[in-house]
Amino acid sequence: MRNVLRKEMRLSSSILSYLFIPFGLMFLLPGYPVLCGAFFVSLGLFQSFQTAREANDIVFSVLLPTAKSDVVKGKYLFVCLIEGCAFLLMALAVGLRMTVLSQSEAYRNNALMNANFFALGMACVIFGLFNWIFVGGFFKTAYKFGRPFVAFIIACFLVIFTAEALHHIPGLERLNAFGTEDIAVQLIMLTAGILIFLLTTALSYRRSCKRFEKIDI
Amino acid sequence: MVIVEIQDLVKKYPSFELKDISFSLESGRITGFIGRNGAGKTTTIKSMLNMIHPDSGMIRYFNRPFVGNEADIKKRIGYSTGTVSWYPRKKIRDIVDIVKRFYDTWDEASYRKYLDLFSIDEMKTPLELSEGMKVKVNLMLALAHKSEVLILDEPTSGLDPFSRNELLGIFTELRNNGVTVFFSTHIITDIEKCADDIIYISKGRIVAAMSKEDFIRQYSGAGESLEDTILRLEGGAIHA
Repeated sequence: MRNVLRKEMRLSSSILSYLFIPFGLMFLLPGYPVLCGAFFVSLGLFQSFQTAREANDIVFSVLLPTAKSDVVKGKYLFVCLIEGCAFLLMALAVGLRMTVLSQSEAYRNNALMNANFFALGMACVIFGLFNWIFVGGFFKTAYKFGRPFVAFIIACFLVIFTAEALHHIPGLERLNAFGTEDIAVQLIMLTAGILIFLLTTALSYRRSCKRFEKIDI
Repeated sequence: MVIVEIQDLVKKYPSFELKDISFSLESGRITGFIGRNGAGKTTTIKSMLNMIHPDSGMIRYFNRPFVGNEADIKKRIGYSTGTVSWYPRKKIRDIVDIVKRFYDTWDEASYRKYLDLFSIDEMKTPLELSEGMKVKVNLMLALAHKSEVLILDEPTSGLDPFSRNELLGIFTELRNNGVTVFFSTHIITDIEKCADDIIYISKGRIVAAMSKEDFIRQYSGAGESLEDTILRLEGGAIHA
């Protein structure tokens, strides 16, 4: 498992996947749709799939002494690693905004969505959608990724628009809590987001293994 | 001892069909897989490596089916599929550093030996190599992990006559050390020089699979070279 991940990191990936991880810190930007940070991290991952395709990575990987399912596992491990790193940066930003910066004027007067646990949960949903729609879609052919990426962009921005709009609906203001206000609701939303990420990623991985097994390289 | 066994392999495409491909490879022998372009050599080899899925048939290595034992079997075989360039902008050294970690049997001394023999500069990227040098890099990767079986698709294509001769010499040396070598080619003189057995494929069907001596005895006319024989057979197959 370590070998396939190392191959992904050192041979298959694009430097942009790593450089785009700090977009997770967009969670610190006031007056900005913070979930766009998750989209940019996904965009960085997309670059790795493009680089890998240009380098005949799939054929090379299939010829290594591993099962075909390990090739799929390598891709998912790499994607989850990058998403995990970005998530940690987002969590750090959320932590700062919920504690030392909770009374900051710039954040209190923010017309857009607040970066709290709910936002962090929604970022997990976006990453889960990337794994489900894009990575899963890629393994239909192990070659074509244009359509899956367009589908992901549409789904991603629907999630961003929805998340931004929700707290304006009467009764849902608590989703935009500052600091540790409504912490129970926030934690429930974060847990739900993480569960959605885990479920979509696991199901997508299983489906991709089955699809990839049937592909003629 | 039979080390690789292919039984009744069938793969249908809209415009081409592999029909009931059956043959076996004996341990410690060199087998030349010959056929013209488009005869089905690469499709057969890709099927042997599970890169494409046959509609039916069985592929066994070391008395074990390939499907289900893929990772273990791949560690004991080496393969090279032509001159395709992987990771064109990565240094050969970096690619090798990743590949070797997948093999418990990686032999660094052997790797250095072939690096030197093939005059490969490991600091170069595939983009900086000629087609012939890319073939050599693929071969070096296949040879450096003490494979028991080598499966090579057109390994001599793109090589200059000196390198081809060197390579055929390496095949003979490997065979003498008990390695089974299976290589496809459309260059008949390569088979004449070093193969023990011949598998001749035409239009997706195995025409002959036997020792080189038996092949010559069965198919060659008086004073006819192997090349003349195969050209005559292929001409017959085309006009049939």
